Amino acid sequence: MKIFDIALKDLTRSFRSVFAVLFMFVIPLVVTGMFYVMFGGMADSGTGFSLPQTNVVIANLDEGGSGFDMAMSQFPADANIQSMGDMIVYTLQQDNLADLMQVTLVDSAEAARSAVDAQEAGVAVIIPADFSAQFSDLEGQAVLEVYQDPTLILGPAIVRSVLNQYMDGISGAKIAVNVALAQTGSGDPAFIGQVVEAYLTATEATRDPAALLEVRAPAAGETEEVPLLLRIIGPIMGGMMVFYAFYTGTATAETLLQEDEMGTLPRLFTTPTTQATILGGKLLAVLLTVTIQVIVLLTLGALIFGINWGSLGSILLFSAGTILVASAFGVFVNSLLKSTKQGGIVFGGVLTFTGMIGMMPIFVFSNPSATIDTISLLVPQGWAIHGLLQSMQGAATGNLLLTMLVMLAWSVAFFGIGVWRFQKRFA
Amino acid sequence: MSAIEVKNLHKAFGDLKAVDGVSFDVQQGEIFSLLGPNGAGKTTTISMLSCLLRPDQGDALVMGHSIKADQMGVKSVLGVVPQEIALYNDLSARENLTFWGKMYGLRGAPLKQRVDEVLEIIGLTERAKDRVGKYSGGMKRRVNIGVALLHKPQVIYMDEPTVGIDPQSRRNILDSVVALKNQGMTVLYTTHYMEEAQELSDHIAIMDTGKVIAYGTNAELVKIVGQMDRITLTVSTDGGRVAEAWKVVKGVKQVKAEDGTLVVLAEDSNQVLPRLFEAASTQGTRITSVTIQEPNLEAVFLHLTGKALRD
Ligand SMILES: Nc1ncnc2c1ncn2[C@@H]1O[C@H](COP(=O)(O)OP(=O)(O)O)[C@@H](O)[C@H]1O
Ligand SMILES: [Mg+2]
Repeated sequence: MKIFDIALKDLTRSFRSVFAVLFMFVIPLVVTGMFYVMFGGMADSGTGFSLPQTNVVIANLDEGGSGFDMAMSQFPADANIQSMGDMIVYTLQQDNLADLMQVTLVDSAEAARSAVDAQEAGVAVIIPADFSAQFSDLEGQAVLEVYQDPTLILGPAIVRSVLNQYMDGISGAKIAVNVALAQTGSGDPAFIGQVVEAYLTATEATRDPAALLEVRAPAAGETEEVPLLLRIIGPIMGGMMVFYAFYTGTATAETLLQEDEMGTLPRLFTTPTTQATILGGKLLAVLLTVTIQVIVLLTLGALIFGINWGSLGSILLFSAGTILVASAFGVFVNSLLKSTKQGGIVFGGVLTFTGMIGMMPIFVFSNPSATIDTISLLVPQGWAIHGLLQSMQGAATGNLLLTMLVMLAWSVAFFGIGVWRFQKRFA
Repeated sequence: MSAIEVKNLHKAFGDLKAVDGVSFDVQQGEIFSLLGPNGAGKTTTISMLSCLLRPDQGDALVMGHSIKADQMGVKSVLGVVPQEIALYNDLSARENLTFWGKMYGLRGAPLKQRVDEVLEIIGLTERAKDRVGKYSGGMKRRVNIGVALLHKPQVIYMDEPTVGIDPQSRRNILDSVVALKNQGMTVLYTTHYMEEAQELSDHIAIMDTGKVIAYGTNAELVKIVGQMDRITLTVSTDGGRVAEAWKVVKGVKQVKAEDGTLVVLAEDSNQVLPRLFEAASTQGTRITSVTIQEPNLEAVFLHLTGKALRD
């Protein structure tokens, strides 16, 4: 089949091009890797890529106090929390920190420090006996002792940062209580309890340190099991994949213009090969190239970073949609160009601009909103990312199918116009 | 029988009549040259004959297939060597030939065998695995030709295949054109090199500004200028007076002044030259240079158009 011969020839050429391979695979992976390192780089990917865990020993000497127990409804009953110290221990033992730290409990401050001295642990956290009491005392100063192995940098820093955020939450609660007391003049312990509880509810951070770094509110319960880092890295890698899939679609479709200028396309038209076969082969090459790129990036994302892209069915749906719309977009955009000289405008302008808009839901960290999601859906990249996030969040197949249908509609329109214009041009 | 019958082809680009009523016949098994300067309309003609451009008017039959009504028929008997090298630089010579072979419908073992043969013909067997992008201009030209030979076409078009290459590659190409003819192929060859047309062709059509201005064998064309030698001279004084004196010299047919030089057409330069020197010295003029050209296509072109073939 000549159509496959033409497509295969294009694939060979694409994968021989250092540039193409760079943009198809290397850059998306490197950018994701950079974010991975930026966000700690310590998640357990299950493939031996993970950095070592930090061993944390905790000496919880806290004897409890009167003021803290009102906030206990924040925690599950079986956690058996009797003091502020128990709260810290509970927090550090949370599943989503398990990738970062391995917590061991010891009885005394001495034992905790000597574990670090003996290099059995990287960090010792000592919670003093009066920790809860100091917290309860509105004038008091609750102090934690962190004792660390001076040769370690990353692990202890992470433990400290979690504790800092935690302590910020606690001080915040204290300030909230103080303000409430000053305004109402009430010393009723039940009232103080309500204030603390309200504060802790509002700042979920004290209970779930992962929430401090969270980018998007996870939609399904399942996602809450996903380690913190992956919740950030997954969408970023997905966004990179979508962005560069469109790039690849456009770059591969641009070979139609290149071959026209190189004379190989006119030469193809002098062979006994129909126009349909020649154009078909070129389009097939675009589809196959983007398909290979998406499969490779999905696989490497899962293998290197341990990203869970969703169920197989939903992965198939959003990838198919992405591949189709990225390829069709490439054909469409190139059909509007006179020559490859105008390619720069496309790559530097159109692709970057629409890609950025499409990726807004991923990269606007601070304030994800419905408006941004809606704006992103004005460009096809936005739909691809929508489908990707749906898949990662375990959305219902029906919803994903709808997204896929929208991408299909974009694709039909893009392919239709693009192919029609190219047919006319080479008639 | 005619391999190619061209009937009154026209093609205009806007106001420019690139091909303006061109007709000629190419016999089977011959080398036929379109000779003309840049912009004469050779490539446009070839493009129409290979179904890349639709003629505004006229038609042509290639091995009996109309370029308008039966394009697949034309393409299947045809090999085209485009003027600009049209190859994939990032593929090797073997990969290029294999791909183009498939486009001509070859597959499997016969394809592999034919690729080997063509590599041999173009003398690139040793370098077959190297990417074409690394080749010299001459080597690329040879691959460019090789592609058109893969399916052993009955008719092959070669559009200025020797432009811009070293003498050795040029020789190789000219020899292979003759070899193709000897295998029974019909070759339509375009060039602006008079010597090539003269050496290769059975028939020549001279083209200028979209028209065929002369047609025939080399010998027939040369007769147009009357079998005369062309003597080009420069002189030390005003050419006008000398020219008048030379016009009455025995054996001289014509004297023309051309940008600082004098051109004398004469039946036999051996006899005429001493008389020209004599006549010049009686005018007190010294001849400072002399070139003798036996009749050729250059002279024919000059005769017909009043301008040189190469500008
Ligand atoms: N695609 C085109 N558009 C406009 N003018 C063209 C085009 N192709 C050729 N021409 C013009 O037509 C004339 C004949 O060109 P061409 O057939 O390439 O001549 P040759 O091959 O003999 O050098 C030239 O004046 C050239 O500039
Ligand atoms: Mg030309």
